[in-house]
Amino acid sequence: MSDEYRYIGKPTPRRDAPQIVTGSATFFGDLVVPGMLHAKVLRSPHPHALVTEIDVARARGLSGVKAVLTHADVPDWRAGTPRHLRVLDSTVRYVGDPVALVAATSEAVAEEALGLIDVSYELLPAVFDLDEALAEGAVQLYADSPGNVLRPGTRWFGPDCLTGLAIGDVEAGFAEAEVIVEGEASYAGLPNPLPPESPGVVAQWEEPDRVTLWLSTQAAHQEKMIIHAAFGRAVDVRTIGGACGGSYGSKFMSIQLIMQATALSRAARRPVRLGLTKEEHLAAFGLRIGSRVRAKVGLRRDGALTAISGEWLVDTGHYSLTTQAQVAVGCGEAQVALRCPNWDLRTKVVCTNRPASGIVRGFGGQELKACLLPILSRALAELDLDPFDFLRRNYVKPGDGYFWRDGRWYDYRGNDYTPAMDAGAEAFGWRERWKGWLRPTEVDGPLRTGVGVGVHGNVDIGESVSEAYVRLDPEGRATLYSSASEHGTGQPSNLLKMVAEVLQLPLERVTLTAADTAVTPYDMGPVGSRGTYAMGSAAIKAAEEARRQLLTLAAANLDAPPEELETRDGRVFRLGRADSGAAWMAIMGPERTIMGHGRFEPDFTLANCMMTFVEVRVDTETGGTELLRVVNATDAGRIIDPAGLENQLNGCLGSAGIDTALFEETIIDRTTGRVLNANLIDYKWRTFAHLPQMRNVVLETPVDSHRFHAIGVGEVSTAPGPAAVLMAVSNALGVPLAEYPVTPEKVLAAWKRAMDAQAGEATR
Amino acid sequence: MRSFTHVTAGSLAEACALLSEAGGKGRANAGGTDLLGVLKDGIHAQGPELIVDLKAVSGLAEVSREGDEVRIGALATLASLDRSTLLRETLPLLVQAAHAVGTPQVRTMGTVGGNLCQEVRCWYYRYPRHVGGPVGCLRKGDGPCLAVKGDNRYHGVFGGRGCFAVCPSDLAVALTALGAVVDIAGPDGSRREVAVEDLYEPTTLTLAPGELLAEVRVPVPARPTRQTFLKFTVREPVDFAVVSVAASLDRDGPGCRDARIVLGGVSPRPHRALQAEEVLRGGDVDDQTAARAGEAAVAGAKPMRHNAYKIGIARTLVERAVRACLDA
Repeated sequence: MSDEYRYIGKPTPRRDAPQIVTGSATFFGDLVVPGMLHAKVLRSPHPHALVTEIDVARARGLSGVKAVLTHADVPDWRAGTPRHLRVLDSTVRYVGDPVALVAATSEAVAEEALGLIDVSYELLPAVFDLDEALAEGAVQLYADSPGNVLRPGTRWFGPDCLTGLAIGDVEAGFAEAEVIVEGEASYAGLPNPLPPESPGVVAQWEEPDRVTLWLSTQAAHQEKMIIHAAFGRAVDVRTIGGACGGSYGSKFMSIQLIMQATALSRAARRPVRLGLTKEEHLAAFGLRIGSRVRAKVGLRRDGALTAISGEWLVDTGHYSLTTQAQVAVGCGEAQVALRCPNWDLRTKVVCTNRPASGIVRGFGGQELKACLLPILSRALAELDLDPFDFLRRNYVKPGDGYFWRDGRWYDYRGNDYTPAMDAGAEAFGWRERWKGWLRPTEVDGPLRTGVGVGVHGNVDIGESVSEAYVRLDPEGRATLYSSASEHGTGQPSNLLKMVAEVLQLPLERVTLTAADTAVTPYDMGPVGSRGTYAMGSAAIKAAEEARRQLLTLAAANLDAPPEELETRDGRVFRLGRADSGAAWMAIMGPERTIMGHGRFEPDFTLANCMMTFVEVRVDTETGGTELLRVVNATDAGRIIDPAGLENQLNGCLGSAGIDTALFEETIIDRTTGRVLNANLIDYKWRTFAHLPQMRNVVLETPVDSHRFHAIGVGEVSTAPGPAAVLMAVSNALGVPLAEYPVTPEKVLAAWKRAMDAQAGEATR
Repeated sequence: MRSFTHVTAGSLAEACALLSEAGGKGRANAGGTDLLGVLKDGIHAQGPELIVDLKAVSGLAEVSREGDEVRIGALATLASLDRSTLLRETLPLLVQAAHAVGTPQVRTMGTVGGNLCQEVRCWYYRYPRHVGGPVGCLRKGDGPCLAVKGDNRYHGVFGGRGCFAVCPSDLAVALTALGAVVDIAGPDGSRREVAVEDLYEPTTLTLAPGELLAEVRVPVPARPTRQTFLKFTVREPVDFAVVSVAASLDRDGPGCRDARIVLGGVSPRPHRALQAEEVLRGGDVDDQTAARAGEAAVAGAKPMRHNAYKIGIARTLVERAVRACLDA
């Protein structure tokens, strides 16, 4: 199918692979800026307290210490929605909240200095979950957020930002329903996306108002935008992103680190490096949002949803950076996966005294879906409807539409994903393995096998703006100026393939600049699976524009109009006359470069889709759950890079994905407020030694995106899995479950309920 | 990490002398797979002032048979146990238990002595100092055990006294089932022997400053016994046991002359399930006996708020281990 292309769809080496496998790639930990100091953070032992006194005199006196900062001497920079997050605050709101900062000539000196700081606290009551935070008379985390409920919506998505769903008439919808079910489910294990490289920044302040930031980031320009706003728009910000050792969205939560390193650099007049340890990363950085949904759903016998009403409570921890945006996107994504004419979904974003939740791939939709599907399952079970048929029927189809995050209606013009879903079901053997609701697929003594399915799709594949430049050099080389950081997906290599395809250059003659806001143009960055369509479109247009300029220049030289010319391998010639023509050098001369600019404008009329089928085996005597098989099914329009796509889909397990249904959770002690499992033994993280059978089914139905008809699907690979696993475990046990993850304790308790119920039946 | 003096000992005697001199302020380092984590997390109020490296001490890494005993040097790595033909033939339980530990990398560095003497995994005890300061607790002599009122899903259901952290060593469980003893070297050249399970006291090890494990001695059963080690973890592999069991049955046709059943992950020390052994000893053993042994093994368990699920797992593991011994 991809024979028409030279590179698109063909396996090509990833550009940074040799560096990564030989250990020569430069990550944040390798970064050295001359004169750089090392920073450490003193963190609160209390989940909620006022800092009444800090004595830093001894720390300041320690040899090698260049700056010590407390809340009393930091600039009034603020971030968040609303702007609750400061460089340092006089109130601490979770165990691990920064209290003081030290920059010193070495990490050891900085650490020693932390031990010399004396802090007095006045303790406040703390709230650790939604119920406590929303209780009458609960302690308030912020004076401007009564009841610990944050202001809904985000200005970034405009004045009509979705804060819930009010569509149609739910009462009329319920009147039409043949079954109505009410229920509650929660996805509140607060898993950590846990990129292998922990967050970090080097800040270099230059008086009076300029800062250069080297970041572990997936999107240098988006960071710059967030930082610029945090600095009250009064600082000239330059961000530089190198290789990023994973992000999964979470590195955007580095904003406080960035403010702190900048404040320290300004105070010390030296560059300052602030990197988190793995323990800090686990106990004091970004987690997935906590969600609880109470909903009522109306369903017809033919599988049509008639109404959904309810409340989605979102626990954001001690502050929100983007949680309201996640609520908006989640509400949009719910409509993409669940066509329903009548909605009344209300939402609340709630603050609690624990580390913050925020950006993680799946961005709201994964969390909402993980709660809605177990509730819907009960309605499906009442009507004995197959969940695959139900999800297949109700996924958005051409001609449908949805209110997206900005509150505006969009008509969907993308693919019908039914064939991809069918291909996935076929590959999985769904028809054979599905035995009905709450029925195991196989029973072997205490071992019970069950299957489940989930679906997810995102419209943000076309969100926001991307720009790119492509520069042609007379030597027959091209350079892509893009703010695409390599955060593990291989997307920069894919952009180079697109540019090489447009320019018909050997792949190795196209190179990429590092993301640097002083050099590379604006780009929202590779988020929400937008790399392929949005960023790809900008790169393609830039390459096309450069090519157009080249051919115009060549027209005089070759005595033919530009439209009768083509270029290949650094030569320009008349169509079909590859043996004639002239090299770029002859056309451009040695003293010229050509620069093409490309820009992508937001497009919310396409959506991707991922359907995930899972099979699990539950041991009813130990409570252990084993993920046996996973089949992911999607349609990518056109595969750009087969191996890269395969890896993206295999990534569905980790980064707070499928494993959040099995064992990934952040465990917060209810008595002390501490994160108890801030290490990689107790934070259960799948290793490569223990993988299920994986199969990825990818169709290629050309979609009207850009010239290669492709869309991105990487981000959503984590999203359908958790609900599918919960469904599979419920079916294996014969007991509906509504909480994640399925720990041995929960499985054994559920099995006991099932046995007790059976015994009750028998005696009746 | 706080600074300390690092000395490489040339002999066991030198190491004991150095550590004795340091009083409680010295720590021995063999493979370092546990100690480095403890140091980096700064879990103790005072860090060690002296680290004595044992890696250069020779003659303590052998696994050999002498008469009716297998002798395992304290510096033998877990990997060497895992691939020992001698152990595979005489004490397969140890091979299974060694293989159940960590990763190949951990087993390559980690030693028998270190595995037996590693610090508990209690997450209050282990809380990293640099994220809000260390947590004081009974085991550290600083306050009550926080697990009692807190999240005790991984804590003990048997025999806790004040501290409810469980013995984290897989090897200790297997060695207890085999009736092994450890040979402890003292600073004055003295030697003393204790049963492996007696190495563990409710809040500490029995070792005095300056005492080090020299070797482990395991009696080779007079008749071949059926041996099974099972370990239940939340993550598989690379995890500590939620519950483990080591079973050794001396079969006599359908009967059982003697049995040793030891549970791990449930108590501050390897937990001899004496009542389960009683069920198995003497009579014929079949699947029903195995089930009764499972029941008997958990008799008297005292769960806390979040760890009652361990009882069901322990019961299951004992039953399965006994059945595996029947099938073997």
